[in-house]
Amino acid sequence: MLRIFTSRCCNFLLKSTSQKDITSCLSLNRLYRPSIPVYHLCTRNSVESDVIKDEGEKSKETEAIDLDKWKSVMTSQAAFPVQRLGDEEEPDPDGRSSLDATRELVSMWRQAGKLVPREMTEDEVQTLAGFTTKSSRKKYLKYLAIRENYKLARKEKQQQKKAEKEAFFNKKRELDGDEDDQHKPKNALILQFWDRSLDKLLNWRAANAMVFGQPLVFDMSYDSSMTPRELENTVSQLLKVEAFNRRAIDPFHLHFCNLQPDGPYMKELLKQYGAETWERLLITSTERQHVDLFPREQLVYLTADSPNVLRAFDNSKVYIIGSLVDRSLQSGLSLANAKRLKLATARLPLDEFLNWDIGTKNLTLDQMVRIMLAIKDTGKWKEALEFVPKRKYEGFYQHHTHTKNKFTFRNTIKMLLQKSIHSWFNVRIFAL
Amino acid sequence: MGSTLILKVRICLKSARFFCTRELKPNLRGQQTVRGVSDQADGRGGGLRNRDIFQVREDGGGRKHSVRKLPSFPKSVFAAGTAKRTTEMLKRKTSRLSVAEEEPEPRASKKEGKLQPPDRPLSPAEWRKLKESLGNSPHFDNQMMLSLFNSGSELDVAKSLLSFVAVETGTLSYMLLLHYLCLCVRGGHSDEVFDVYKIMRGSFPSLETGASSLFIKSFSQTARWKEALSILHERKKVFTPSARNYGDVITAAVQNGDTTTAWALYDELIEKGLTPHQDTWEALFAGTKKTNEEEVMREEDQQERLQGILLHMRNNQIYPQHSVAKQIKTWFESLKGQNWTGAWTTPTPKGVCRCCGSELESIHLSAEEYRNLKDRVMADVIQGRDVFNKTTPEELERFKAFVKRKPAFDVVVDGLNVANIGRDKRMLSEMLLAVVLELECQGLNVLVLGRKHMLTPSRSWSKHNMSLIQQKAHCFFTDNMSEDDPFLLYATLHSGNHSRFVSRDLMRDHKACMPDGATRRLFFKWQRGHQMVMFGNITEGRRVRFKSIPSYDTIIQTAGDSWHIPYDDTEDRSTYEVPQRWLCISKKKQPLN
Repeated sequence: MLRIFTSRCCNFLLKSTSQKDITSCLSLNRLYRPSIPVYHLCTRNSVESDVIKDEGEKSKETEAIDLDKWKSVMTSQAAFPVQRLGDEEEPDPDGRSSLDATRELVSMWRQAGKLVPREMTEDEVQTLAGFTTKSSRKKYLKYLAIRENYKLARKEKQQQKKAEKEAFFNKKRELDGDEDDQHKPKNALILQFWDRSLDKLLNWRAANAMVFGQPLVFDMSYDSSMTPRELENTVSQLLKVEAFNRRAIDPFHLHFCNLQPDGPYMKELLKQYGAETWERLLITSTERQHVDLFPREQLVYLTADSPNVLRAFDNSKVYIIGSLVDRSLQSGLSLANAKRLKLATARLPLDEFLNWDIGTKNLTLDQMVRIMLAIKDTGKWKEALEFVPKRKYEGFYQHHTHTKNKFTFRNTIKMLLQKSIHSWFNVRIFAL
Repeated sequence: MGSTLILKVRICLKSARFFCTRELKPNLRGQQTVRGVSDQADGRGGGLRNRDIFQVREDGGGRKHSVRKLPSFPKSVFAAGTAKRTTEMLKRKTSRLSVAEEEPEPRASKKEGKLQPPDRPLSPAEWRKLKESLGNSPHFDNQMMLSLFNSGSELDVAKSLLSFVAVETGTLSYMLLLHYLCLCVRGGHSDEVFDVYKIMRGSFPSLETGASSLFIKSFSQTARWKEALSILHERKKVFTPSARNYGDVITAAVQNGDTTTAWALYDELIEKGLTPHQDTWEALFAGTKKTNEEEVMREEDQQERLQGILLHMRNNQIYPQHSVAKQIKTWFESLKGQNWTGAWTTPTPKGVCRCCGSELESIHLSAEEYRNLKDRVMADVIQGRDVFNKTTPEELERFKAFVKRKPAFDVVVDGLNVANIGRDKRMLSEMLLAVVLELECQGLNVLVLGRKHMLTPSRSWSKHNMSLIQQKAHCFFTDNMSEDDPFLLYATLHSGNHSRFVSRDLMRDHKACMPDGATRRLFFKWQRGHQMVMFGNITEGRRVRFKSIPSYDTIIQTAGDSWHIPYDDTEDRSTYEVPQRWLCISKKKQPLN
């Protein structure tokens, strides 16, 4: 046992260079030869620890553990000479060094485990340095970090998909053994349904709607009350609006009103769509106001702050939706606009149908257009309000569904009529 | 019905007294003194205890009251802690209604039992074993360090963990060192902090804000406080240091007798628009224990600067905490040859200091302040960025013409707010009528503001009551789509400085419309002096009572030979409330009594 220990100590002595290590090893030796006075060799620290932890088997054990080992490890690999802080007080006339310092700070935050991005562009650092409050910096860095994470995740996924594809083709090539085969058109009975064919169909419907469809107006006059990020969100929601509308059975004729040619909305739309796609889009965009395009009595402004409830969808009306994302809830903004133009206003019957739980009663633009499309097609709020996010409410009120299913005289007539039409069609088909 | 009501009120009173014994005491004292006053006034009000107040109702409304306001039992809504007490009372009421409906579930804390930190330093081998037994997580070291921090373990355990990680990986991450630093700073191991400082400086290009704040804090408590100062200067290169950082260094400078640096830093702190922490003020008032010859020379200077702090608090409506107030008191009393004496006190409802008998500043605005406020409310609250947000231009003109046509109002009533004070939705118009009748009874010229939907007869708004209200008071009904509060403010402000308004709304959203702090404080001062809030339930046959309005301004004030400083002695003051306790410091010798 003693031999093992002494050999261990020798190893330690060989390895260690700092004085502290030696002292700790010496104190280790002392366990077995307590008569040797080593105190004069010890630094202050180990004397203290010796005095305190001299009794008990356990404390002796702990003494054996080199508590300050990490310090020697870290000092031995110190990459940056410790400068006296007072010396490096050179004045930096240009802002460059302060930006570099900002960048360095962000990288240190990353090391400290904060949610900050790995890389930042020059502009982003500049924006960051421009913020005055701590919370705004924090929020901005968090936003950048999350965005970066999304980007990286997407890239990784793409790469993975690419690799899988490659592997699949390689395998197939091996199996088939014939390289030219895959480029030949397939021999099939039915014409292949290309993506382009679907696009054609949908565009045909959208073009139809532009001639005969019911208009739906998006009011683009809120650029001054949104932050650049909110505006970005608005436009990306508008992209979805157009997509959902195009895919609908009976699309609206979308109007983007008040769209200033050089305004922020336009810039963002062009950025997200690309100039070419924007030109080919089957919607009406105009810089004129909705009140100039349509008769006033037809217009209804949809706003969450309206006192009136939209009970039934009217096919002869032109509904207006404000293209606005307000993360900081600017209540009454669109209502003020409607009041100024003396337009009729309405809100969706959310309270009447849904057992509202948490969340505000404003909806995103794409949810809004899906609700409008559904109510136009079905006339039933229950189906339309399915598009309200589920997290916001607990469920539909039951009594409304009861009244809907009631056999009223009118409903019965309607059903009978529909049935007769169906049978009439059937008869015709059979006759043919 | 009547008896149950009394019972309920009694229960409420009892429980309220039970919950806040300390709060109620000064309150009761206040009541007694007022009772004394009313005793002399009519010789009948004596012995009016709480119980009797509620029996008045049983006697019937026929009894005539010569006392206009019943004892000032109801404090102002803006008294410190009112909001919190009300919430608690309501919470208890609802919990009593739904008896044991929801048992508070024992919340299982997420981290409990996840990581058990060892109670003694482990050797690397033992650490490795522990790590493997816990699934060899890559975040083991950080998680363990955090759990060591949370459980408040000994430093040696953390050291052994660091040694293990250093041996195993050959280096230590910034995060791990930062967590270790937290542990050191909390335990006050300054020697260890110096070592960590050396290592972190050596291994990393710079320090982020968390580490530098910790170093500043720790260095300030030692003799090496000058280094904290240089860390602070270094930090200024990127972002403004926090008020806490400045405060730490200022405290260190004061304690080490370097007042010049301390005041320079304090000026810098104020210049950067930061609000100093209360500890900083405490340290500045506590001053240095060392006495240099220089210091004696600058005694005058020092005095002026400290009084400057008090004026800064006055201008920004800041109230010192109890500990700071104590320090201020000791400082004043320590001034040689000036004979200051300090005392803890409360003012009378009339605004007279109970200690020195001097009168406090009035809550009423000066003519210029008043005009200024009126303009700002019109511009910022009513019109704002867009007139259409709260009203329409036509309606605003209609209202302006209405106010101009009518004589100045003594009191303006927020119709819908007052009507909704009860719980019964069918009694809306009765509530409003009761309040209007009470005010009219006092011979006041009343304006009732409402919305147009109140005029359509319904169960809540009976036609008879509404026409009675219209007979007794001037009425203006806004569109259903418009807000009524801005009109309330406009009408009250337009009727002159004596005019008050009745509403339970604290108008915080309208206060927030003001662009700068000075106007906001002005608005708040006006609101405290002019808002009447109903007290208790309104029931038939009982007089409507209002909470008392203080006649003095709660703000730090001086009259040359005396200082009056309101201070916080409770933790539960909301931002829209003002403290109730004062520190009175006067130069004159106190007469013995």
